[in-house]
Amino acid sequence: MSVSETSSPSVEKRNPIRETLIYIAMSVVALTTVGPFLIMISVSLTENIRFITFPVELIPTPITLENFQLLFARTDALRWLFNSVYVAFVSTLGGVITSSMAGFAFARGDFWGKTVIFTLFLGILIMPDTALIVPQFVVLSQLGLVNSYTALIGPWFASIFGTFLLRQAYLSIPRDYDDAATIDGANLWQTWWRVLMPQVVPAMATLAVLRFMGNWNSFFYPMIVTSKSDMRTLTVGLGTVARSGGDAGLDMSGAVLGFLPTLLVFILMQRYIIRGISLSGVKG
Amino acid sequence: MAAASPSQRATSQFLRRLRRSLPWYPFIIVNTVIFLVFNLVPWISMFRYSVLKTDLLSTREFVGLDHFVTMLTDAKLHKAMLNTVWFTVMYIPLLVAVSLGVAVLVNRPLRGMKAFRALYFLPNITSVAVLSLIFRRFLSPRPDGPINFLIGLVGIPPQKWLIDVNQAMPSIVGISLWEAFGYFMVIWLAGLQAIPSELYDAAKVDGANGWRLHRYVTIPLLRPTAAFIIVIATIGALQVFGSIFILTGGGPVNATTTVVYQIYSEAFNFGRFGYASALSILFFVIILIVALIQSRYLRFGEDIY
Repeated sequence: MSVSETSSPSVEKRNPIRETLIYIAMSVVALTTVGPFLIMISVSLTENIRFITFPVELIPTPITLENFQLLFARTDALRWLFNSVYVAFVSTLGGVITSSMAGFAFARGDFWGKTVIFTLFLGILIMPDTALIVPQFVVLSQLGLVNSYTALIGPWFASIFGTFLLRQAYLSIPRDYDDAATIDGANLWQTWWRVLMPQVVPAMATLAVLRFMGNWNSFFYPMIVTSKSDMRTLTVGLGTVARSGGDAGLDMSGAVLGFLPTLLVFILMQRYIIRGISLSGVKG
Repeated sequence: MAAASPSQRATSQFLRRLRRSLPWYPFIIVNTVIFLVFNLVPWISMFRYSVLKTDLLSTREFVGLDHFVTMLTDAKLHKAMLNTVWFTVMYIPLLVAVSLGVAVLVNRPLRGMKAFRALYFLPNITSVAVLSLIFRRFLSPRPDGPINFLIGLVGIPPQKWLIDVNQAMPSIVGISLWEAFGYFMVIWLAGLQAIPSELYDAAKVDGANGWRLHRYVTIPLLRPTAAFIIVIATIGALQVFGSIFILTGGGPVNATTTVVYQIYSEAFNFGRFGYASALSILFFVIILIVALIQSRYLRFGEDIY
């Protein structure tokens, strides 16, 4: 779906007063969503700031990076940042590729257990993941995987939702492509990689963006499976910063650090995020 | 006798089927293994541990269904369930109203509309840790704290927000609302834009205008979207955790202890992994029932044409 400007009931003639009022209302709402982020950035660049007090000085004098220096000196923030980047990158790449493979198999394959496995996958998709957090920890601790990248990345290395998404994408490709590839002597892997996968790249991109954002922002699970500071992801680490009661400057520099990467992805990939929502209705 | 016996034929059929199946398994093997390790095995262990009393270290004792009996008299759990209901009852109507209101507001062919939508979506792409860092400061009880200052402009005295027993949960509701409304706005917009404009034209020919246009065209046609949103949002609301964990730790005096927080706390604060597993089962059943009732009551996805 594209959020296109069609079929609104307001086909009435342009009314400048009405339009102005609408713009004012929209700006007020925008102020509530953007304002806190602007203040966050401003405070993170302010010298020696213990509390955020209103009225706030939006452009601090002088502008300083000392809060960020303090953050990196006092906490493992750099390490958390590395962990988050690494985990999100591997999780996204892995999840998208395995979803693409499995989606292909469920769309085209003819093998034993297809229906059973597919139904089981469907079952997982509707389960609330928070209900499974404690048992997941129990299993991981028995496997000795607490505080490991395996635990952080593992569940993200496959995506049931992604498998469904990609299955749909593959189903929309005519079988003629497969037949042509087979006649040309391609095996299954070549058919998948060379002929069909290039046609589902948009779906894979949508999935990749959803997975990246979901992984980067996830909190509960990575918090549970890590107890050592140097294994935490950025969000989990920032959670500890928030609870530690430091200065506002330190807190906001952490918030900026957690915010910027998602903002960047959002700006670059907005189209895919919006499409992802309309496709799934659930966060990836 | 006939050439091939039935069993021989079955065997050759079996082999042919196997030969056809085998090449496909490598494509699903990673997904299946991950599913086994991170979902199926934990599911089984959830049931196994629900009848044990264990801290995962030294003690491990079979207690049968004791945990489920304990639940009946566990006052903290009952409080947590009430809190979860309280959160959901405050959050869902507000969320539906605000996200629909904003969707209607931006569903116009005006210049810059896409930019506004993107700005409304901003809180939703932000992690709960970042939101909590910001709002812990914004909801400061100081009279010159951001929110207290702003309400002071309209003459409301400073409030204690997160550290007040009665205001902590509404504060969490506010943060969750702020975070989520842009997301649900996008879903509403999809629903609004799926309404054919001919229906509005037809209604206008029939003399409907303004509010009546919405009453007889927009609202009935948005019913499936509404049902979808309510079900999804409720399931999300029942699972609220991150902001509570970071901002209030379930307090003050258990005022924000939800069922999920209680499960977390039993396991990781008190080392009662058996009881926490039993609570996980309870929680799963609750979510399932809520989702089923809502889907049925709201006639989810019913064709309205």
